[in-house]
Formats: sequence, C-alpha cells, structure tokens
Amino acid sequence: MNKKVLLLIFTFLISFLQNSCAPIRISKKITVASSGKIESIDPARANTLKAIQLISSLGDTLYELNSNGELIPELASGMPIISKDKLKIIINLRKNVLFHDGTSFNSNAIKFTFDRFKKIGIMNYILGNKIKSIETPSEYSVIINLNKPSSSLNGLLTSVYLTPISPTYYKDYSDKFLNEKFIGTGKYVLTSFSNEVQLIEPNLNYWGEKPLNKGINFVGYSNSSSLFGALKSKQIDVLLSNSIDDSQRYSLKNLSKNKKLKEGNSPFTELSFISLNTSSYPLRNFNLRLALAMSLNRKLISEKVSYGLRKPSRSIIPPIFKKDYQEMWPKYDYLKARKLLQKENYCNGNILKIPLTYRSNVPSDKLIALTWQEEIKKFLKDCIDIELNGVESTTVYKNLSLGIYTAVILDWTGAYSDPEAYLNPLLSCNEINDGICKKGESVYSGSFWGSNKVESLFLESEKISGNKRLDKLVEIEKIAANSIPYIPIWISSQKAWSQNKISKPIFNGSGIISLSDLRFIDE
Amino acid sequence: MTLGLLMSRNLNKLLNYSLLKISLIPIMLWIVSSLVFILLRVAPGDPVDAILGSGADEVSRELLRNKLGLNESLINQYFSYINNILRLDFGQSLSTQEPVLNIILKSFPASLELGFFSILSAMIIGFPLGFIGLKNRGKKTDYIVRIFGISTYAIPPFWGAMLTQLLFSVYFNISPIGGRFPIFQQKPQITGFLVLDSILSNNVIALKDSLYHLALPSITLGFLLSGVFSRSLRVNLDKTLQSDYVNAAICRGISRKKVFLNHALPNALLPIATISGLTIASLAGGALLFEVTFSWPGIALRLHEAISQRDYTLVQGIVIFTSMLIVSLNLFVDILISFLDPRIEY
Repeated sequence: MNKKVLLLIFTFLISFLQNSCAPIRISKKITVASSGKIESIDPARANTLKAIQLISSLGDTLYELNSNGELIPELASGMPIISKDKLKIIINLRKNVLFHDGTSFNSNAIKFTFDRFKKIGIMNYILGNKIKSIETPSEYSVIINLNKPSSSLNGLLTSVYLTPISPTYYKDYSDKFLNEKFIGTGKYVLTSFSNEVQLIEPNLNYWGEKPLNKGINFVGYSNSSSLFGALKSKQIDVLLSNSIDDSQRYSLKNLSKNKKLKEGNSPFTELSFISLNTSSYPLRNFNLRLALAMSLNRKLISEKVSYGLRKPSRSIIPPIFKKDYQEMWPKYDYLKARKLLQKENYCNGNILKIPLTYRSNVPSDKLIALTWQEEIKKFLKDCIDIELNGVESTTVYKNLSLGIYTAVILDWTGAYSDPEAYLNPLLSCNEINDGICKKGESVYSGSFWGSNKVESLFLESEKISGNKRLDKLVEIEKIAANSIPYIPIWISSQKAWSQNKISKPIFNGSGIISLSDLRFIDE
Repeated sequence: MTLGLLMSRNLNKLLNYSLLKISLIPIMLWIVSSLVFILLRVAPGDPVDAILGSGADEVSRELLRNKLGLNESLINQYFSYINNILRLDFGQSLSTQEPVLNIILKSFPASLELGFFSILSAMIIGFPLGFIGLKNRGKKTDYIVRIFGISTYAIPPFWGAMLTQLLFSVYFNISPIGGRFPIFQQKPQITGFLVLDSILSNNVIALKDSLYHLALPSITLGFLLSGVFSRSLRVNLDKTLQSDYVNAAICRGISRKKVFLNHALPNALLPIATISGLTIASLAGGALLFEVTFSWPGIALRLHEAISQRDYTLVQGIVIFTSMLIVSLNLFVDILISFLDPRIEY
C-alpha cells in the first residue's frame, strides 16, 4: 500500500514538474544546437564549423555554391569575368546593399575585407600566394589580380572567411580581431553573443529574400550525449553536428526513418584516410603499401564502426566533384595482399610489423584501427601485425611532418569546394628527391610522397577549366592511386536533424545549412 | 595563569602561524606556476597545431607562432610570464586574444554558484542521514545509510551526472539538458551569480529559471558528496557521544538534549568544517566532469577547452587562480578552526 502511495506521489510530482518548472517558451525563434562554443565570429579568426555556419547567416559572400556545385552570385551582380591571361578577375558588385550598421556595400568593403584577411586571418593560408592585389576601379566593381592563373577560384569566391565586413565598423580592427560582434550584409543581425549562446534576428533592410523564420537561437553543448538528449527530449529544434557519436547518429537516423525527426544531409565531403609514410622503412616499399591497401575491408569498417552511415571510399576526391565517380584505389582482396607480402618474403615466419597511429580523442579512429587489426588477425595473422598507438590529435598534427608515424589515420575536408582542395593538400610537393617529398604539402600530411608528373599536371590544370581541368585532376588521382601514399577509408557527410514541426534542414554545396529556410511548419 | 593571558598567547600563536602560512603562499604559487609552465611546454603539440589543424603549411604555422610569441626562447617566455603574474596580469588568451582575467571572472561565478548549491544539497541530504544512522546504530537503517554513504562516494561523478541527465532531462523531461539559463531569456547581470542577481533585480522569473537550471547539477553533485558528510557526521558524533566529558555532563544531570546540542554536536562538527572547507575550495575550482556533462559554463569547462586548444596562457591563468583560491580557503579554514577549537595549538 505504502509503495503504491509513494509511486502515486512520484508520478504526480513528475507530471507537476513537467508542467510547471520548464520556462515558458515566449519566442517563436528556432533553437539550433551544436557542439562546443564559439570563441569568435570574426571571419579572420573563426575556424570552427559552427562559427562559419553563424557567419554565413550574418553575412553574404560574393558567390554561393548551390547543391550541384554551381556558382550563384550573391553580393556580385553577375558571374566573374576572367581576363585572357587568367591573371585578372573582374567582379561587378550588387548595388543598394547595406551593412548592418548602415554603411553602403561597395568595392572598398571588398578590398578592406580581403586585405584584412590576408594580413591577420588565421586561415589565410588558403589564399596561398594566389592573390597579388585588389583594385577598385569603380564603386561597384573590383579587380582581383592574381600572381598566377588559378582554377580553384570558385572556392575563394565562396569562402566564408572572405565574407565582406563593414569597413566603417571595423576601422579600429583592421589589424586585430573583433570576436563578439559581426557587421555584415546578411539576412540576420546578431542581437546577442556569448561563447555559449548567440541570438540572431532577421535583417529588416536585407536586399534579398527575407528569412522564413523570426530568428535563430544558437546554443552550444559541450558533449555529444547532451546534444542527443536535447533533441530527443525536444529541448532544441534543430541539431547540427558533425561531432556527434556514430551510435547516436544511427539512432537519430532510425528516428527520422520512423518519421519522428527530419534529417538533412550535406554532400559527402569529409574524407577519412590512412596516411602511409613512403619515405622510410618498411612502407617505402610499394608492394607493402599495396598489400596494406588490399587488406582494408572498408565495407566491414563502415558497418562495424559507423553502422553503414559513412560511405566506403576508394577515392580521395568526394563524389560531388566527379562526373563519373570512379574509384581508383585497389579493392579489398586479402588473398592478393598475401601474395604480395609473400613476394616480399613475408608470411613465412616473417611478420610485417606496422605501427598504426590513431587520434585518441576521435572515437571512430580507434574503432577503425581495431576493426582493421582484427580483420588482419583473421586472414593475415602470419603476415602482418598491426600495433596500435593512440595519440591526441594536436600531437599527431605536430609530429606529422617529422615523419615519425609509419601509418596514421587522419581526415580531411577541403577548405573550399573543389577537387583541388583535396588533391593539393595531400599530394603536392615543392621539392622532390627520388620520389620523396622534402618540402611541401605531402610532408604535412605525413606521406612524404612526391611525383614530378603530378606537379606538372597541377600546373597544367591551373591554365584550363571545366571538364578538361577535371580530367587533369582525375589523372593526378590515378597516379596517386597507383602509388598508394594514402589509403582512403570512407567519406562522410554532415548531418542535421530537425523536429517534425520544423522544415527539413537543407545544406548548400559548401556544407552550410541555409538557416533562413528553416521555418515552423504550421506558419 | 589567567584566561585573558592564555587567550592573548593563543592569539599571538595564531597570528604567527597565519603569517607563516601567508608567507609560504608566494612560494607555493611560484612552484605551481612554474610547474604549469614547464608541463605545458613539455606536452607535445602547441596552440598553432590546435588552431590550424593538419592543413596549414609550415610558413603559416611559423607566422602564427611568431604572432603568438611562441618563437621566443623558453627562458624569455618564462620570465615575462612570471613578471606578468607578479603584476596580476595573466596575459591574453592565445585563441581569442581576450584578457585571461576577464575569462576567469566571467566563468568563476558559475562554478562558485554550482559549488555552493552542491555543498548545500550535500549537507541537506548527508546530515539527516548521518543522524538517522547514528540513532539506529547497529540496525538495518544504519547499515542502509552506511552503504548509501560508501556508494555515493564510490559512484564516478561523470557516470552519475550522465545517468541523472538521461533520467531527468531526457526520459522525464523535467530538467534542462544543460546550460545555466534559458537561451531565449535575458539574464540579469549584476554580480555574475545568477540566483543572487535575480534576487537583487527582483526578477522572480529569472530566479525560477536559474534555480531550474541549477537544480539537477547541484542536487546530483550534492547527492554524490552527501556520503562524505553523512559518514563523517556519523563517525564523529558517535565518537563524541562516547567521550568522557559527554558522560560527565549526563552524570551531572544535564538533559540529553542540551548535552547533545551544546557539547556533542559542536565538537563533532569541527572535523566536518575542515572537510566542508576543502570541498568548497575544490568545487570553487570547478567540478570538471560535471561542468562538461551539464555544459555548465564554469571555470572547469573553460579549463577543459583551453587544454584541448593548448591555450597556454589561459590554462596557466586558470590553474594559478584556482591554486590561489585553494590556498586562501585552506588558510581561512585553519584560522576558523582555531577560533572554534581553543584546544588547537600552533
């Protein structure tokens, strides 16, 4: 009897608390949550996906990429005009656009933004030495002078880091960051900023289409479980996170399958791969690299580690950038791998020891490593022994160029939407000696692989455009696939989930959600 | 020897002891700050790697290293660091360029508020349980209370936090999943302590909202700490009740209630005052895993992020600030105990 009374009181208390304690929601704003906090919304300082997402709502870029990867003018009034020698890009700008502080948008704002980013931008390495200068021949046209022809301009012209900012407001911040304010031309204005919560409201003077919602509350939670719980208990409307655990992703996918949530996917852009050190023993030997590539069962790894949510990939270029998606890396075939190892005098009492480093703070990396290790134990136990070594990611990045990792699991997302943003950082090299890169990007990716042929193809690709350029880039990938400095594992997409009362989140070609398209269904 | 003379001698001793302790503080802080400096530099990876990831080339890395002053010699870095600390200048965060002291002062009230309410919860839960256990000495209830005390102490805090979060925020949905205040409401900003600020600004809704957010993390943490309080009260009170002076007082005919309240309880509470002081000191420095689990924007969460970003200046600042706090609170507890217990000599 007593137990029944207690249970009754408990149930009453819970229902009472459910109805009375939670703060009453007084706004019709949409709450979007993601992991971590935003340290800065200065485009010159921001380097997290979350900050980039917020900046892209508060500001416009010159162009945007649609989900087909096509260039769409935003603050530009038309497509860029490229000179015959491909060293000048002329861009005409949209008129009657105002920054949030009332300053007119014009060519000076573009020059100010580009120069400031070049000077203090944390990520200014994405410009490389491509841009020589910016000219402002008239109020509404700019000329970008290049040091050398570049075919990867789409990425630069759509880069959120180069979102124009008000020169008037940032006058005192031309050489330092302004972390907590943002004055752009975007659909929203920032009304409140703290590291954990940011509130934005529609910009009433916006030049284009107005947002479909009355504003967005951005909130950051410090861990994946909180994000998952917040969406499940309907405390948030939209969950945007790339860092949510795979088991939770899977659970959310099932909820969206059962129509309890809506799921939006970006194009597949995040590549996971194993970088092989081609400059030293034992992976200097091509046959051993090939054998390792053939011993990797991507399908099994995808199913065991990501519940099949990440797409096994035998290519280092995301499918969105290729017309005929060809996979060039060798297929999983442990029998052929064994033959190759036997050819190199392994397997007959001689076991190839491969130290495999994974980033200990990236849960999926460890699972990939363990699954591969188990698969090898199953079929190639007498030939290969994978020794696992977990190292925190910052340490891994620090040591990559020192060549201390024989094999290391990494991932990469291009800084801009172009195949070159994947090939260049992994394969290019400035100084090659006997097939080994001494100085260049492939050193920083830990492979130390270099090819003169690849370098000349990169140069050729800079001078051409369209399908011809794409063919060149595919040729580069083919050369890499035949040398195996890396083993691609899978390619993943970003995901976002919304409650049923909210419209489905839609990503653009740069992997950014259009927050202005989110709306309450009943509105 | 008169009582006055004895007291003044004790006060002199206490003063000497306090001065000795205070004079040791700078040495202690110097050791802590030097250790933090060395350990951070010995740890592989630097802020540049954390900020730029694996994508940037060496030229960009060098440029950023120069900008952040990381290319100066370690000796120079160390001396300028110590020199700045002496002027209470903790420098600027490497990742945001915001003064470290500002960051600490912004996040410290959140930790202190959580710590205060957690201790309060721990006492509210722990003390009655300690009494109940003692009152039912040797009975079933006593064993249950003892097991409870040991169990709460043994539960890993992060697990307890996740469990209550799952239960009360996700399944019952009666508590917010994290944070300190509803995101869609304006929070009162006077002292940084939201409960206090809500009271000062006569804002009942804000008070309700801040308590609503504070409830789950503080009660959970209080629950986990309550075992320490119930156990120590149970043990100390039991020991005191069996002491000669309590028996003598009872024999003199003083009522049991008076003996308990005037003699036994104050003496039994003395060790608990020490435990409370130390617990408050450690909680003021932030309950790391609790703040991470509940996305509580306190000093420990900030430290956690700063470590992952290799934000040297921020980590150094937070560690030194926390050390100063713990050392000061320790000193305060020592002095308080000596006032409360005249038997203590220094």
